Order: sequence, then structure tokens, then C-alpha cells
Amino acid sequence: MGRIALTGTASFLGARLLRRLAETTGAARLLVVDVAPPPDALDVRHRAVDLTEPAADQRLLDVFREEQVEAVLHFAFYTGPRRDATHVHELESIGTLAVLAAAAAAGVGRVVMRSFTAVYGARGQNPAFLTEDRPLQPDPALGWARDKLEAEQHAASFSRRYPDLKIAVLRFAPLLGPRVHTFYTRILDRRVVPVLMGYDPLVQMLHPDDALAAAEAAVDRPAAGAFNIVPSRPIPLLTALHLAGKIPVPVPHPIAYPAAELMWSAGVGEAPGRFCDYVRFPCVADGERARRELGFAPRHASRDALLAYLEYRHPPARLARAEAPA
Amino acid sequence: MSSRPKVVPLRPPPGPESDPRATAAQETARRDGLLVAIARALEAGRHGLTWENVAALWRAAYFSWHSEEVDEFGRDAKFTETIRPLFEFLYTVWWRVEPAGVENVPAEGAALVVANHSGVLPWDGVMITLAVRHEHPARRECRMLALDMFALLPFLAPALARTGAVRASQENGERLLRAGELVGVFPEGVKGVGKRYRDRYKLARFGRGGFVRLALRTSAPIVPCAVVGAEEIHPVLAKADWVGRPFGLPYFPITPSFPLLGPLGAVPLPAKWSIDFADPIPTATHGPEGAEDPILVNRLSEQVRSIIQRMIDGRLARRRSVWFG
Repeated sequence: MGRIALTGTASFLGARLLRRLAETTGAARLLVVDVAPPPDALDVRHRAVDLTEPAADQRLLDVFREEQVEAVLHFAFYTGPRRDATHVHELESIGTLAVLAAAAAAGVGRVVMRSFTAVYGARGQNPAFLTEDRPLQPDPALGWARDKLEAEQHAASFSRRYPDLKIAVLRFAPLLGPRVHTFYTRILDRRVVPVLMGYDPLVQMLHPDDALAAAEAAVDRPAAGAFNIVPSRPIPLLTALHLAGKIPVPVPHPIAYPAAELMWSAGVGEAPGRFCDYVRFPCVADGERARRELGFAPRHASRDALLAYLEYRHPPARLARAEAPA
Repeated sequence: MSSRPKVVPLRPPPGPESDPRATAAQETARRDGLLVAIARALEAGRHGLTWENVAALWRAAYFSWHSEEVDEFGRDAKFTETIRPLFEFLYTVWWRVEPAGVENVPAEGAALVVANHSGVLPWDGVMITLAVRHEHPARRECRMLALDMFALLPFLAPALARTGAVRASQENGERLLRAGELVGVFPEGVKGVGKRYRDRYKLARFGRGGFVRLALRTSAPIVPCAVVGAEEIHPVLAKADWVGRPFGLPYFPITPSFPLLGPLGAVPLPAKWSIDFADPIPTATHGPEGAEDPILVNRLSEQVRSIIQRMIDGRLARRRSVWFG
């Protein structure tokens, strides 16, 4: 039985998937292909490969052949926007190309790749539930989404050219739950949260446990193609913010976009201005295909994910202690 | 003195984070309503306004008229309840809606109500929903498919979604019908709702038959519906579309009161309404593959259109006054 190779094991989802697989299939079957070594406690085999180096595909091919890799779980993607656009492009777009090329050449049968529902793009014309056959139309000026889109396009083109390579692309809704720290949780941790005046789209927030269950299901089943991995139910943005006890401050959108962009350029903002689209228009995906073909059914709604995150940020244990008689 | 109700101070006990208190405040708001929540806010002001109690009050006020959970299209049961009195006032007093043939709406299962669109703002959709809910024995909830221009408009869009409207698209309509919902649609679209007063009650082209394809694919019967009275609530004398275009509006109506009276111009005139439902047209006999037959689609579309036009003409012939019916 061949090994399962994982990239992006330093990412939140990649690290948790590594730990889970070490428990279920055993650490001996796993191989971490990442710049950073895995935690010593796991005792997993590690081969250091930098996906951004020019000959990464050759290095990966050697590793895949030597280690007899039969499945690759490609999770080397950034959740949040970053200012080093060149590095992100090299890692996500070109790095994915290298992983797929090496996997195809080494005769790897299975690739599971992480993606994002945000790659559909938030648009007013979006249906209430985006299905996987919907064309991916993120804002072309949004570099964050462009690199992910290119990675998806590489996956689609490799699926066409190598029918034996079963590529599953998992489009995860934004994660929210215990131990999740991303650019939007930093916004959510503030008391006052800016929102777009007159807009209140439905948003999806995926509990990490569900994300993990979906990734595991995709490893076990040979289903190929794109799959939306989404919570059972979306929640309106304002309802979510009020549930979290935030004070939403409405900003007119003609001001919000340039202001956010300016703050991002100045180094104080959390995301480029184009991200305002995601709190303006819906980008809600339909999880029916994952249910049908991966057997994955989410156990948490968006609201549950939010409440789990809030409980993690504000643990009730502290309250119990404070209320206990001295 | 002691009979005076005890005011619960909102100043938080020292230490713990805000979450359980917020839940408590929210519970209170649910019990006592918005006015008490505001009173508490004023009370809190005396004790010193902190971020914590502002956030908790803000939240309590919000959830006193919004529910914490919405359905998958964003319909908010509590919000709908909150604004229902306004809608009911418009239905019973302002427009004195006279529904007829509501029993033609199937009591269960998917069905597509197809109506003429008029009145600048989507009030006709609200009134059709109310007519079905009030007069139909099954008390069905009609999910209206809203035009893009409404479903994308700031402020109006979230309110529409909370009251159960869904942006009009094949995907959304199909999803609702497959779930066995009653769906309402206005095939005239923008051409209907924004037509001039002098063109009133002349049905515009019914799109490209998308609603027929929707019904055929889901085997949902079509219930033609004629709304009379909505054309007179905002008589569009002229259109200054160049004013609306920079703001993303497909048209900019000029009515006797708008924009002359400013926001007052949004108050609709109290015309007398009638809403007629015709016998349902079954579509299951054609099968889902009928949706690919453009001749059949157009024939059904024209059939529905002529039924609605006939119902409108009949009503207009009987109507003696715009205001009293």
C-alpha cells in the first residue's frame, strides 16, 4: 500500500488533517512534503520540498517515486490575503502546477486539493446556492482569488489530460470555529465591525470539524471533480455580527471600497478593498454534490460554527470561576 | 414607592466577558420588546455607557425584531411578523384588496403563480403573498421571485430577502419548486413594473418564457394571476432614466408626488385593488423535456398572458372607480 503525501501541513486545515490521518490510517502511511517539518510527536516521515522553487516538479516527482506515493493531499494555500503577491502566486498557482505534474508523471492515482467557495466570486447575480458547474468568476482585480482560480484551472486541465488521475477539488466555505485565526476572525474580534450600508448578504461559515470530515471523506472515496464543502445553513451577515455582540457600523459602499483599499495599502487593513464584495453580495454554495458523491453531510450550521468560535474566544469556564463564591 | 418596578441595572458585574449577559439582555428583549430595550438603554446611560452594554443593548434591540435563524433563502420569520401589521394595513384598509379565486392555488405541492407586474415598487408581490396567506384554506406562503433591480438595491434587498422574496433566477426558482414551495413570478419584469401610466394594464412581453420552462422542468402547475389597482398607486407620468442610471436603477419614475415631495413620494396612492387567480394550467403532461421545445414554451407563455389580460380587461370593464372599485 502506497503512502499518502500531504502538502501545506503548517496550515490550519493541513495540520489538523495530518493529525487526524495519523490517528486513523497510521503515521507510517503518511508523508509530509513541506518546507516546515511536522511536529516531532507525530513521528511522520518528512521530505522538505519548497513548492516555490523552479525545479519543484522534478523534486516532487523524485519524492513521489521514492516514497511510492499513491495519493496527494494538496493543502498549501493561504486563507488570508497577503502583501507578498509574487510568493503567493508562485506557491499557489505554480506550486499546484508542480504538484499536479509530478503526481501525473509518478502515476499517483489520487489528488485532493483545497480550494475556496470564494473562488466563485461574490456577485449580485449569483443564485442563492452556487453549484459546482457554475463558472468561477472572481473579481479579476483580486489577486487572492486569482491565484486560487489558476490552481483550480490547472486541476481541471490535468483532470482532462490524465483521466487516471482522480483529482477532487474541495471548495471549503470560510472556516470559523475553535482555534481558527484568519483575517476575518481578526475583524470579528473587534468590538466595532464596519459593514456596507444597506447590504446584508447571507454568509456561510464552516465548522473545522466538518471541514476535516469532508477532507477525510474525499481521501477515502475516489470521486473526482469539484465539491462544495459548506455548512448546512447560511446566516445573514448582520445576524451573525449581532449574535457575536458586535456593533456594526454601516459605511456607504462607494466610500468603503477605496477606504479599505487605502488601509490595506497603508498596512493597517486586514484585506484589500475588493474583499468588500464578500460582505456585499452573496457567495453561498450548495453542498448537495458532496453529500451525494462523498457521503459528506455537515453536522454544523453557520450559526453553530459562529457560536463555537465565540465560545472558544470567550470561554465560559472563566465565567464559572468568576461567579463561584470566593 | 415599593410598587414601582425594579429597574435592572445594566452595568455589568466586573470580570467576565459579555456573552452570557448579552444572552440575558436578549432574553429580556424577547420578553419585553423594543420599547423596554430602549428604556434600558437610557437607564444604562445613567450608569455609564460602556462598550459592553452598548453592544448588548444593540444586540437586544436587533433581536427584538429579527430572529436568530433564517431559512436557506434568508426568510426571517420574526421580521416578517414584525412588519406584518403594516402590510395588513395596506391590504385591508389602504388598498382594500379584493381577492377572487384564491382556491385555484393548489393546497400543496409546487405551483407557480404568474402575475402582471406594476406599481414601481414591488407592492403587488407583497399583496399576492398576503392574499394567499389570508384567503387560502391552506394558509400557504408564496415565495415571490424579485427582479434583479429590487434584489440588488441597498436597503430594499435585505428587507425583501427577510420577508421571503428570492432573487429571480432559474436556479432559485427551480430550487424552491423542487422543494414543493408555492412560487410567484412576474414575467414582465422591469418592463411591467416601470411602465408609464398611459400604458397601464397593457401587458408587456413575457420575457423569453423562462417561467414556462421553470414550470415545465419541475412539472409545477401555472396559476395565472391578475392584479388590478397597482397601476394607479404610483402613476408614472414620465421617466427620467438618465437620473437613475448612475445609481444602478434601470428607470427613474416621475409621479405626481415623486420626486416633488421627496420621501413622501414613496407613499402609494390608495387605489382599490383586486387580485384574481385563474384555474391552474397543468404542465406535467408535457414532461420536463417540454422545456427544450421553444414552440411549446412560447405557446404556453402566450396562453398565460392572454388569460391574465382577459382577467384584467374583465375587472377594468366592471370597475367604476379607481379609488372605490
